[in-house]
Amino acid sequence: MSKHHLGEFEEIVLLTVAILHGEAYGIAIINEIEQRLNRKVSIGSLQTVLRRLEKKGYLNSEFGESTKVRGGKRKRYFSITSLGKKVLITTKEQRQGLWNAVPQFVFNN
Amino acid sequence: MADRPSQQPPNWILSFFRWFCKPEYLEDIEGDLLERFNQRVTTDGLRRARWDFSKDVIQLFRPGLIRSFHFFQSTNHRNMLRHNLILTFRNYQRYKSTFLINLVGLSGGLACVLLIYLWVKDELNVDKFHANDTQLYQVMKHRTQSGQTITSTWLPGLTAQTLREELPEVEYAAATFDLDHYTLSVGDKDVQAIGQYVGEDFFKMFTYPLVYGDPSQVMANRNSIVISKSLANRLFNTTENVVGKIVEWQHEEQYQVTGVFEDVPRQSSMKFDFVLPFDIILEDYEWATNWRTSWPESYLQLKPGADAKLLNHKVADLINRKTEGEVTHVTLFVATYTDNYLFGNYENGKQAGGRIEYVRLFSLVAIFILVIACINFMNLSTARASRRLKEVGIKKAIGAGQSSLVVQYLGESTLLAGMSLLVAVVLVKLLLPQFNLITGKQIPLFFDVPLVLSFLSITLITGLVAGSYPALYLSAFDPAKVLKGTLNKSLGELWARKGLVILQFTLSIVLITSVLIVYKQIEFVQNKNLGYNIENILIFDRISWEEGNLETFLAEIKKIPGVTGASSLGHNMTGHNWSTYGIQWPGKDPDDRTEFEMMPVNYEMLELLGIEMKEGREFSSVFSTDSTKIIFNEAAIEHMGFTDPVGEEVVWGNGNLQILGIAKNFHFESLHEKVKPTMFWLSPPRTMYLVVKIEGGMEQSVIKQLTGLHETFYPGFPFDYKFMDQEYQALYAAEQRVSILSRYFAALAIMISCLGLSGLVAFTAERRLKEIGIRKTLGASATSIIGLLSGDFTKMVLVAIVVALPISYLAARQWLENFAFHIDLQWWYFGGVGLLGLFIAWLTLGLQTFKAAQINPVDTLRNE
Repeated sequence: MSKHHLGEFEEIVLLTVAILHGEAYGIAIINEIEQRLNRKVSIGSLQTVLRRLEKKGYLNSEFGESTKVRGGKRKRYFSITSLGKKVLITTKEQRQGLWNAVPQFVFNN
Repeated sequence: MADRPSQQPPNWILSFFRWFCKPEYLEDIEGDLLERFNQRVTTDGLRRARWDFSKDVIQLFRPGLIRSFHFFQSTNHRNMLRHNLILTFRNYQRYKSTFLINLVGLSGGLACVLLIYLWVKDELNVDKFHANDTQLYQVMKHRTQSGQTITSTWLPGLTAQTLREELPEVEYAAATFDLDHYTLSVGDKDVQAIGQYVGEDFFKMFTYPLVYGDPSQVMANRNSIVISKSLANRLFNTTENVVGKIVEWQHEEQYQVTGVFEDVPRQSSMKFDFVLPFDIILEDYEWATNWRTSWPESYLQLKPGADAKLLNHKVADLINRKTEGEVTHVTLFVATYTDNYLFGNYENGKQAGGRIEYVRLFSLVAIFILVIACINFMNLSTARASRRLKEVGIKKAIGAGQSSLVVQYLGESTLLAGMSLLVAVVLVKLLLPQFNLITGKQIPLFFDVPLVLSFLSITLITGLVAGSYPALYLSAFDPAKVLKGTLNKSLGELWARKGLVILQFTLSIVLITSVLIVYKQIEFVQNKNLGYNIENILIFDRISWEEGNLETFLAEIKKIPGVTGASSLGHNMTGHNWSTYGIQWPGKDPDDRTEFEMMPVNYEMLELLGIEMKEGREFSSVFSTDSTKIIFNEAAIEHMGFTDPVGEEVVWGNGNLQILGIAKNFHFESLHEKVKPTMFWLSPPRTMYLVVKIEGGMEQSVIKQLTGLHETFYPGFPFDYKFMDQEYQALYAAEQRVSILSRYFAALAIMISCLGLSGLVAFTAERRLKEIGIRKTLGASATSIIGLLSGDFTKMVLVAIVVALPISYLAARQWLENFAFHIDLQWWYFGGVGLLGLFIAWLTLGLQTFKAAQINPVDTLRNE
């Protein structure tokens, strides 16, 4: 299972792409993360992670239409692949398993 | 509103981003950047937005997003390397002569450079082994006489001691005196050794480590002697427990060994086997404590941080002060002791080089030779380029970039340089003993890390220089033209090759001319009538100072058959010994400080030396009054300005001396110097050298009998004689070395040049085989073909000669100015060398072109 290991930031990016479903391009993802998690994300770190996830096969991407705001440059929309979904679910189940294994009284103090 | 042109992100940042970003990511990330920028302009303002934009771009500059640059690719380096190696070796095999010419040339050149490198390194390190290197200074003096400043190291005996007492920044100070051969004995055993007198601080200042004894104690007593390990072995057959033993010096005085030092290292300019305390000199000799007499040398060790410039001001007038203002023409200064070896020459009070000039000269020669060898490689590679056109064309057509071709050709040349290095190292190993003999050094060949690194870097540089032009030239071909076969050789390339050949021959001819001039000058020096005859004359030290002993001994010597004369004098007749400005004559300028060389002599000395008298006569035992007479040489008379000198009187010290005669000028110093004013006076007690003239051919038997006689007169003192003419030649040791070495280097230079030329001609002939074949069928003679092939090259060599001769002329003139007496430059020296160069070139050309002219046209024209 270790080959499907996701880094913390990778997981966040993957989830955000899933949230934005169909509207996930660079700035949109950044805005979403910044809003929801209140953390600063640079284009550089986001882009590296996006490309890495794409290379691993968790994400797909395609160009969208060009807009004037972007100096005529097209957007690249990312969408999650079935492998990506599987990895997300696996990750979630692993976490859940871990949560379940924690004895009740630990959090009850 | 987001589109106003003023609201743009910084342009150059954007360009930078476009430059480094992976092209497939470029569009959308740039879009993101711009979108974010525009967003920020509205929320944060333009300034802030531009700033954040730059920050974003810098954060994008990270491995995952940077495009791969050409030189980052490491796809098939190993394969390419293998491929290049194979091609290189195939080329070597196919063109064996080119390979051999390059190998011989480069290894010869490299061997030369490596030898000179070893020598230069050795020279630069002389005396640098002293631990206090930077704090050691030698006190020196400028003496002004008749408008000229003469610099020397001889100082009054108290200089060192006084400076240490007077100046707080002086840590230690020591005088040294009278480095010479002495006889030491233990029991019946007599040993010759080199010794000197040194001040108390000597072992604290200089790094001559003591095996036994304490550096601050060993020189404390006036009867102490400190000996070297090897001298201890010679005297006592051991180095153990020798401290405290007694050694007899010159069969006169007894000294007690207080210490043993490690043998003086090879790179010490001071060489000695033992030292005695300088205090002996101060106690025993009146002159040593007199501020008017200069003889010993003085060294200082300054405290760390002391300023030598400031010190110079303090020491300058020392002698003036100590003589209460009487001696005003001498100023003292200090110079870094360990630099004196290389920078020891002073001209008119200014530092004027020294041995460093030879270091520079030979470094230049080494570079010349290596350049010549590199040029061979360049010429042959570019000439052979046509053979490799197709290779280059195909490689480029299938996608090789220019840089990969450059790498290939540089690799080839570096590989060749590497192979040459192996050959060169073997050559150096073989030649080093001979080289040491010529240079008078004992340079070892230790392969330590610095040496290996410097050898490798010299080789690498050679490879890169040699390969640079061919690599750039070959890799720049246009593949389309090459493969279509329409590439015409550009004019520039031809010119470059011609220029290189001309440069090669220019360098060679300059070297040959220099060799000739040096040789001629040395021959001139050796054959010049010196004004005195020093052939077949033996000179040796006087042993006994007892009254009457010398006369008896000389009388006995004269009885030996084959001895034509024997006398004694107080000057070794080869180089400056001692001088005075104390002679007074009517009309002398009171500020005149011109020194007269002092030559105390015994009877009939001048006749024995063959010094001719211009007027008057020399000292003769027939006349009893000669001890109040004086003889001057022409230079002295001229300086004093007497019109009718014989019979005139001069004052010296407390006495009047009458001029007895005038000796013709003679060159007792090397011909670098003008003849100095010289005086002879009769003073047998001051004569420390005995001189014996021997009939030609009788040397063997006379020396044998002299040795016997010496042994009976002075038992225990070895008979240590020298031939005066050999001693005189030693004054030119440096020039002799340069002469011999430069001869080899010049020979090597012209040889390598000719190798290259022969390679080029062979190649041209090969290219024009068909043409030659056709010409021959049409009736051309062998001579006309030889002329055809060598015409171009002859022109190049002629140009080289025209360029080289003025350069050599100027260089030669400058070198000859070092000699007060020198040859006149004759036109035929240069003409001769020019012809010689042309002749050698023709010989080379002839051998190659003759072969080409001999071919049978059928062989070359049969196949088409």
